[in-house]
Amino acid sequence: MTETLLSVSDLEKHYVDGASLTDRLLGVEPDRVRAVDGVSFEVQRGETLGLVGESGCGKSTTGETLLRLREPTGGTAAFDGEDVFELSGPELATFRRRAGIVFQDPFSSLDPRLTAREIIAEPLVVNDVGTAAERDERAAELIERVGLSTGQLDRYPNEFSGGQRQRIGIARALALEPEFVVCDEPVSALDVSVQAQILNLLDDLQDEFDLTYLFIAHDLSVVRHISDRVAVMYLGEIVERGPVETIFEDPAHPYTEALLRSVPRADPSEHGRRVDALPGDVPSPRDRAACFRAVEDHPYWDSDPLAHADAD
Amino acid sequence: MAARDLLRVRDLSTRFFTGEGQINAVESVDFDVREGEVFGIVGESGSGKSVTAFSLLDLVESPGQITSGELWYRDEDLAAEFREQRPEAVDGEFVDLRRTSERVRRSLRGPSFSMVFQDPMSSFNPTLTVGEQIAEAVEVQRRASTNPRSTRSRTQGYGLGRMLAGMVLPDSGYVDEDSEAQAVKLLEEVGIPDPAERYDAYPHQFSGGMLQRAMVAQALAGEPDLLVADEPTTALDVTIQAQILNLLDDLQAETGMSIVLITHNLGVIARMCDRVGVMYAGEIVERGTLEEVFEQSVHPYTEGLLGSIPDLDDPAPRLQPIEGSVPNLLDAEMEDRCYFADRCPKAMEKCLDKPPEIECEGEHAAKCVLAETEYHDSRRLPEDYFEEVADD
Amino acid sequence: MISPRTLRNLRSELRRSALAKLGVTLVVGIFLMAVFAPVLAPHDPTDQNLNDSQLPPLGFSTTENRTTSEFVDGEVTIVEEEVTVNATAEHPLGTDSLGRDVLSRTIYGARTSLLVGVIGALLAVLVGVTYGLVAGYYSGRVDDGLMRAADVMLAFPSLVLAIALIGLWGRAAIRIPDPFVAAGITPGMPPDIVLPGTVVLVVALVNWGWFARVARGEALSLRSQEYVTAARSMGAGDAFIIRTHVFPNSVTPILVLATIQVAAIILLESALSFLGFSGATLSWGFDIAQGRQYLSSSWWIATMPGIAIVLAVVGINLVGDWLRDALDPGIEQGEGGV
Ligand SMILES: Nc1ncnc2c1ncn2[C@@H]1O[C@H](COP(=O)(O)OP(=O)(O)OP(=O)(O)O)[C@@H](O)[C@H]1O
Ligand code: SF4
Ligand SMILES: [Mg+2]
Repeated sequence: MTETLLSVSDLEKHYVDGASLTDRLLGVEPDRVRAVDGVSFEVQRGETLGLVGESGCGKSTTGETLLRLREPTGGTAAFDGEDVFELSGPELATFRRRAGIVFQDPFSSLDPRLTAREIIAEPLVVNDVGTAAERDERAAELIERVGLSTGQLDRYPNEFSGGQRQRIGIARALALEPEFVVCDEPVSALDVSVQAQILNLLDDLQDEFDLTYLFIAHDLSVVRHISDRVAVMYLGEIVERGPVETIFEDPAHPYTEALLRSVPRADPSEHGRRVDALPGDVPSPRDRAACFRAVEDHPYWDSDPLAHADAD
Repeated sequence: MAARDLLRVRDLSTRFFTGEGQINAVESVDFDVREGEVFGIVGESGSGKSVTAFSLLDLVESPGQITSGELWYRDEDLAAEFREQRPEAVDGEFVDLRRTSERVRRSLRGPSFSMVFQDPMSSFNPTLTVGEQIAEAVEVQRRASTNPRSTRSRTQGYGLGRMLAGMVLPDSGYVDEDSEAQAVKLLEEVGIPDPAERYDAYPHQFSGGMLQRAMVAQALAGEPDLLVADEPTTALDVTIQAQILNLLDDLQAETGMSIVLITHNLGVIARMCDRVGVMYAGEIVERGTLEEVFEQSVHPYTEGLLGSIPDLDDPAPRLQPIEGSVPNLLDAEMEDRCYFADRCPKAMEKCLDKPPEIECEGEHAAKCVLAETEYHDSRRLPEDYFEEVADD
Repeated sequence: MISPRTLRNLRSELRRSALAKLGVTLVVGIFLMAVFAPVLAPHDPTDQNLNDSQLPPLGFSTTENRTTSEFVDGEVTIVEEEVTVNATAEHPLGTDSLGRDVLSRTIYGARTSLLVGVIGALLAVLVGVTYGLVAGYYSGRVDDGLMRAADVMLAFPSLVLAIALIGLWGRAAIRIPDPFVAAGITPGMPPDIVLPGTVVLVVALVNWGWFARVARGEALSLRSQEYVTAARSMGAGDAFIIRTHVFPNSVTPILVLATIQVAAIILLESALSFLGFSGATLSWGFDIAQGRQYLSSSWWIATMPGIAIVLAVVGINLVGDWLRDALDPGIEQGEGGV
């Protein structure tokens, strides 16, 4: 039995670029960057939805917008039936407690001037949960749960390695016992050997706390490993989505196919395998016209992007 | 026919002398690079891959210093030149570059060795066009070949008048038309569309992938025998990475050069390399052909590394990570034992006595006691061994 | 609030750098001088004694030709004699034209300079940092508007602006009773510390823009740090974020700037006193102005406070460098190999 926890439809987020004071005075029309341009997907309770795509395709913007960390330009995101974008006051606060986020950069995601204890307890302080002693206790519990020791609670972020910092970031995201966590490239800044530790940890935590993940990544192997279903993003749009096996074993969209083809496998049989690489650059949504040209020139572009969506 | 060696690296060590202490970034590294092959160096962040690359080209800068080692480079002319002068620096057709002068090593940069860096953005001067910078590299090489053993670039002493002229008239004839034409040709070779137009574009007008191509073009200016590519695709998306790997393939087939390819991505290694060295904590812990390292790996670190990456074609339910994290390489903290011991699932008492020797079997070498010992689970250190030690 | 790590960095940088040691010594010395002025000063700095005017400092006894007319036997004879003006241990740095002790005045001058410098800089920090953090944190239009105003402030030459403001507001002096005198420890000393109130306000007003700029720059880059986004994702409000994340992480550059600004303000105060705009009559700048006319005959009157200013400014700047070097690398950014 599945139950939809989050349902995003037609999400749009446009950035207005380079609107300086002089531009405004001179009436220069600022550039519009359609970072997310009509994205729809659903996340079922307890599953991991992998959101995969190349740099600048709007993955992070999608994640942050649907958590209300950026204001959307259009669309809706229904979390447990309620539109996140309509929430305010106490309802927004409740939503914030139910949804957490883990960031990519283990260095910029922790305040260098706070200790691990303060960082992990921060969500509790912000939401006024418990007494100081209770919060300390909870921080100790969490730091052990993510595989560090309570003896490390009073250390500063720069005394930890990248993987350890990422664990602290995960502990922070879990402090308020959320149901839903957006993992924004949580392992892409880590060494391979450490990356596996974090992936296993995320797996275990999901089982233990019944978490639902939106897992954003550019590494297809990682996405395959962790996801139940996958959405492939290209240029601010979702070009294909479906169960993980379908996407990886029988991709319908040529872009997905090209992505899969491009990944070099860690196997000697890979030696010298020439990839029929996608021509051209990864287009930037900044230069919309050029993108469309690139996409239309694309040898496979006649297929309808969502024709095979949600084949499940 | 076995290809001949182009470069033999022996016992190379590079250290950094910083305020925090001595960092043993590269520790007694040995490997050979054959003619026309791709030799891969793989390892995690901070394992010393980049410093190894810089050491090969003698580009290590203070507070770093190459503290020992030999770099035997095959070059008949050079060998002939030094045979009389410094017989100890010559062995057959090989010359130990470390025993030649700084000037000789510098003169080899370009026509013999050149390098491609990880971050294309910061490797180009943003105030000059990409074309100019490539043409300049060509020009430097051309002048060097007409007047060997002396290379100059715009930044090196060119007289005050010339400098002032250069400020007023940016391109006052430093780069001549031939070099310009050659630069356009190079841009074309690395697959940049409209090379003649692109010549006049500035670095920020290039995308990451295009700039990486341009950097390859610049590195090819001197028609090097050995291209050292330090994480050439790490900053790029997979589809662009595939293009660049194809490009390196093609260029190698055309020119017959050797490539030392440095990356942390085992997939890139498998796709490109003939032989591989695995680096950990400044050492090459295992080395051999691609098959030997990937399929018959001996060193637990290599095994761990291979086990910890998720497989794109087979979603294993659980990954086998290596516990712990990469050590920092402070000399004071490096104990006299196998550096991997505190993370190694197979560590034994024996591993703690002294650093293991390198055991070779033909091409295949590993720096681990397991390479010569049969391993029994019963000899393994108890799981919490290192925690106890740490608690003392 | 200072972490042990910060202390460690400060200490090791101090041990490493001779200049930092010099700076700290100078600043601590001047600070002690200012605090314990009534105890340290051998004389009341305002005591005049015309008989002992223009005495040279120790080791600089001078001879001067004095002509006196004598009336002997109905005839006037002009006697020219060489008189030796002896330095006395009583006035080790000599006396000024009114016979006041230069050493005591220099010691007391440290009070005015430091008070104006520190209080002025604190005011400027308070206004400027709040302003800048708000501008930077909210960015966009708020930032455009606020920073334009700050830029306009900074566009005026500070001395001219200061003089204009003092002309507008007058020279208010605030008298604070001297605790040492009040407690009866040093009875004969001046009973009040005279703080040139207008000058304090004016220097703060002239300088807050610098702090606004630095704070704004910091806030602008900090607001996009992921830990700020993380805080927002937990529902933290702007005030909380500015207080816990943005401000503490901008402290280092602000502190360094504040140190340097104290020195700048001391110079500005001296300039104002020198030009007679300050209202303080016990200040290094004022004494330089007084001594200027005697520069040829009694160079020490202007030189001693001059040296004091140089030492204070150099010392404070060295301390600023020390703080910058010690605090900056405290938070190293690392890069992870993917
Ligand atoms: N300029 C320097 N000063 C001091 N230490 C240095 C310097 N450059 C490198 N190191 C040290 O040398 C060691 C090896 O660094 P190196 O850059 O070779 O690693 P790497 O394997 O290339 O890692 P990455 O995958 O992150 O590029 C590290 O411990 C690093 O801190
Ligand atoms: S020498 Fe021992 S500790 Fe080191 S890798 Fe081999 S088995 Fe492990
Ligand atoms: Mg590197």
